[in-house]
Amino acid sequence: MANLTSISKSEKSYIQTALEAVPPLREDGRALYDFRAVLLATGVAPLANGSARINIGKNPEEGAGGTEILAATKLEVETVDSGDGVDGGRIVCTVTCSPAAYPLLSMNALDELQYDYTTTLHQVLSHPSLHPRNLGILPRKKSWLLNLDLVVLSDAGNVYDAMFMAARAALWDTKVPITRAVQYTAKKSSSSKPVDEKMDTDESSSGFDTRQIPSAQDFDLPDYWDEGEVLGGRELWPLAVTLNIHSSVHFLDATSKEEAAAPLKMMAAFAFPSTSSPTIQAVRLLGPGELQHARLQTLLSEAERFGQEMYDALEIKLRDEDFRRNHKARNRFAQR
Amino acid sequence: MITFASFPAAPAHDGYDGARRYPDGEDGMEVDFDDDDMGASGRKLTSPGEVLTSSQAFMRGHGTFVDNEEVIASVTGVIERVNKLISVRAIRTRYNAEVGDLVVGRITEVQPRRWKVDANSRQDAVLMLSSVNLPGGVQRRKVESDELQMRTFFEEGDLLVAEVQAFFADGALSLHTRSLKYGKLRNGQLVTVPPVLIRRLKSHFVSLPCGVDLILGLNGYIWVSKLTKASEQEGEEGFDAEAVYSNKNDDIDDATRAAVSRVSNIIRVLAAHFVPLTDTVLLDAYEWVIEQESDIKDLLQPEIGEALVTAISAQRQ
Repeated sequence: MANLTSISKSEKSYIQTALEAVPPLREDGRALYDFRAVLLATGVAPLANGSARINIGKNPEEGAGGTEILAATKLEVETVDSGDGVDGGRIVCTVTCSPAAYPLLSMNALDELQYDYTTTLHQVLSHPSLHPRNLGILPRKKSWLLNLDLVVLSDAGNVYDAMFMAARAALWDTKVPITRAVQYTAKKSSSSKPVDEKMDTDESSSGFDTRQIPSAQDFDLPDYWDEGEVLGGRELWPLAVTLNIHSSVHFLDATSKEEAAAPLKMMAAFAFPSTSSPTIQAVRLLGPGELQHARLQTLLSEAERFGQEMYDALEIKLRDEDFRRNHKARNRFAQR
Repeated sequence: MITFASFPAAPAHDGYDGARRYPDGEDGMEVDFDDDDMGASGRKLTSPGEVLTSSQAFMRGHGTFVDNEEVIASVTGVIERVNKLISVRAIRTRYNAEVGDLVVGRITEVQPRRWKVDANSRQDAVLMLSSVNLPGGVQRRKVESDELQMRTFFEEGDLLVAEVQAFFADGALSLHTRSLKYGKLRNGQLVTVPPVLIRRLKSHFVSLPCGVDLILGLNGYIWVSKLTKASEQEGEEGFDAEAVYSNKNDDIDDATRAAVSRVSNIIRVLAAHFVPLTDTVLLDAYEWVIEQESDIKDLLQPEIGEALVTAISAQRQ
């Protein structure tokens, strides 16, 4: 991937020398493993089944700045036997980059970039090991298609981490409508019998005949106090940790300039099951730099440690958000 | 370390409040242009679509348009009036250059006999090969070999400080670096702020006593770097092309690096709070930060930033 921001050689060497110094210093005074301030809100898109907005590095006073990503999920019904549907549902992730985030990129370059992001996110999130159990509606008939759409509104570095955080928050927030199977059964009433004898000369040809098929044909949405139930296994959605590697040091949450100065990035995505130890869902090496194979193991265990920290912090925030929104909804209801 | 916070709450919009804020323009004179002190009314911010005045009495200027015989603001900004001309100066905008301005820019493209420079303006600025100092004396004819080795002077991504020389017919800037104060930048880092925050000063080269040099480009790009000692500055006589177009940084000690980072963070905080930047403001802010003895990264925390801005504005009054 081409460097999205160009920096001069002297800026690059300034950043690199400062990283090599003891103790290392970054341009905004952070330590190597410090994140910028992360702002997160869930439930930002009223028409989506789940949504989240995340911003890394924005000053709360300021109108703009930072890496900002909007994520939203939308559920769609698919038919399995005649349509594209897969039994048990499927997930499709799409990442769009706003041209305003990359004003210097041509349209083609932007397409390539968002294709890169889309592939990475889709491959990780649609993995069978993460598949939620409640995306099916009727076995072998209907299922949910979960569309996860991300928009990169602005890029100030560390898009991968932000993308996975936004995706996790939106999927956490997603509510699947509760469905009830509906079965058509033939009326066995005596009044219809004479009509039957006259009309139905050839029984097997009727398309509306449902008497032969025992299982449910369709579903309806019962009234429910909430929008639905949460996605099954929502604790599992992975988080990505990007280690930016320059010679012997690695650091987290690079700004665009630091990304341009670091020759190699290692992105690792982890899922954190509550019962067992974290599992690696994906590893990507990005950039022209090289990495000794022996170092990979230590880097991965480091990334896992950072991922666990990130996971714990995000978990608290997501529960806070749930509480805040329930509280708000209750207040609004009380005011009525 | 990672912490999550919430987005700042949007100001609560009550439907009735909104209606009150836009008074129905029957007299068409919401903005009181008659009283002569523009101090109070001039500081009021417009919002896009806000009716300013009647178009029969006033002329529309930049940042406004006319609809239904009313002058309406098209941007958020401050109202300016020159006699009967009403214009709105936007608070978030691209850099509007004037001849003689000092700007900091980044090379985006190398073209025949010219460089394209990103100067935060609407179009890329142009730096002609004929408007830079070339090795071998200031008064020298440009030869073909200079054109062939343009990348040895400036290449893509390089930062430079220059002066606005003229405008092209399409509004693009023409820059020049024909002074020994101008040229390629090294030994530091760039901070970007909205251009309106840079005040016009006597000198835009500021030296802070902490060993940090600042170049406040009027386009909102600020170069924060290690102090260049006056004796080390390339003299008019000994124009050293090696030094001027060098890509290598000097050795910078950790204290200077820390000071550069601290000053950068101060600028970021002040810009986030929309405080106009001058040399005195920056000096006061730096002294305040040193007194507090806080860590560099703590500056970016909202409470400390708030305290800094409060302290600075208290000193201003």
